[in-house]
Amino acid sequence: MKIEIADNKGMRVIAISGDIDMYTSPELRKELMHLVQKKITPLYVDFRGVSYIDSSGIATFVEGLKGMMGYGGKMKLVCIPERIMEIFSFAKLDKVFEIHGTMSDAVNS
Amino acid sequence: MKMGNMDNSIEVTDLVTQYGDRVVLKKISFAIPRGKNTVILGGSGCGKSTLLKHLIGLLKPTSGKILINGKDTTVMNEDEFNEVRKRMGVLFQGAALLNSMTLEENVALPMREHTKLEDSTIQIMVRMKLDLVGLSGFGKFYPSQLSGGMKKRAGIARAMALDPEFLFFDEPSAGLDPVTAAGLDELIVNLRNVFKMTIVVVTHELPSVFMIADCVIMLDRGEVLFAGSLEELKASGNERIRMFLERRPETETYSPEDYFRFIAGN
Repeated sequence: MKIEIADNKGMRVIAISGDIDMYTSPELRKELMHLVQKKITPLYVDFRGVSYIDSSGIATFVEGLKGMMGYGGKMKLVCIPERIMEIFSFAKLDKVFEIHGTMSDAVNS
Repeated sequence: MKMGNMDNSIEVTDLVTQYGDRVVLKKISFAIPRGKNTVILGGSGCGKSTLLKHLIGLLKPTSGKILINGKDTTVMNEDEFNEVRKRMGVLFQGAALLNSMTLEENVALPMREHTKLEDSTIQIMVRMKLDLVGLSGFGKFYPSQLSGGMKKRAGIARAMALDPEFLFFDEPSAGLDPVTAAGLDELIVNLRNVFKMTIVVVTHELPSVFMIADCVIMLDRGEVLFAGSLEELKASGNERIRMFLERRPETETYSPEDYFRFIAGN
């Protein structure tokens, strides 16, 4: 898994690629909670390069979102591949997270 | 070790198991396809439980090969097999929950043992797993406070703890009423549909077979009597298969003379 955090004119984007699994989730959690502590909002998460996510990855995003809700922050998940979207839907999280097909949709929402 | 067919998760070749003089599995070969539900079917004493023990590495065969993702597990040492085991979830017949722990603690145990996840993440995962099997809100319960069906569901939640690639079920409907058993079968089908896991179910319960099987391997007296799709099984004209499907009892195998010799002790 690779994590890239970009700051584009105040727009904070965290782009993840590779597998988010039991081994890599702790690293993702560290980065995510660091941004949450800084009370970043909105936080865009670019899923384009994600090849796999397991329950530890989903739980990490739930934890991140829970932290953001404490200060009224918004997490916007963008470009989720279909296979991964199925897992979000099954976990009933597609209605909890703000999910957008493209970055421009997410920005304009 | 050699690479097998990538469409198959598990390939068993010429497997022989012997307990003393008694040969339980007689040089059997078959394959289990990836991402499907395969049912290992057979009457009592046909060798299906022994076979399951081989697949999950609890028992070494007398001879033969078991390739899991192309690697022969029969020649692996304990450490090597433990790596394979992390990708396996098993629901044992009695669910095998630890009675001194709550459901939450039971499900969290493999995560605490095998990962470096924070406890706050583990708590969320545990709640997700319990919800998955319809046990939301039961996390603080102990196994003794649950019904048989709920214990099995909790056992599945724990088997799913590490998001396994393979899920093995040993007689999942044993001891359950038909409605609870059907609910469990439905859950098994859902797990395959969503998580694309390779699921292996050992059973002799025909209603379960018809509900969950994509593929069936039927064992009879230590041999593979049938391996194929559920539709092919239903259409089979083989007398032993028909007997099983139509629940006909076995005819007497002893001649009166043999029976007399047997009870007379000659």
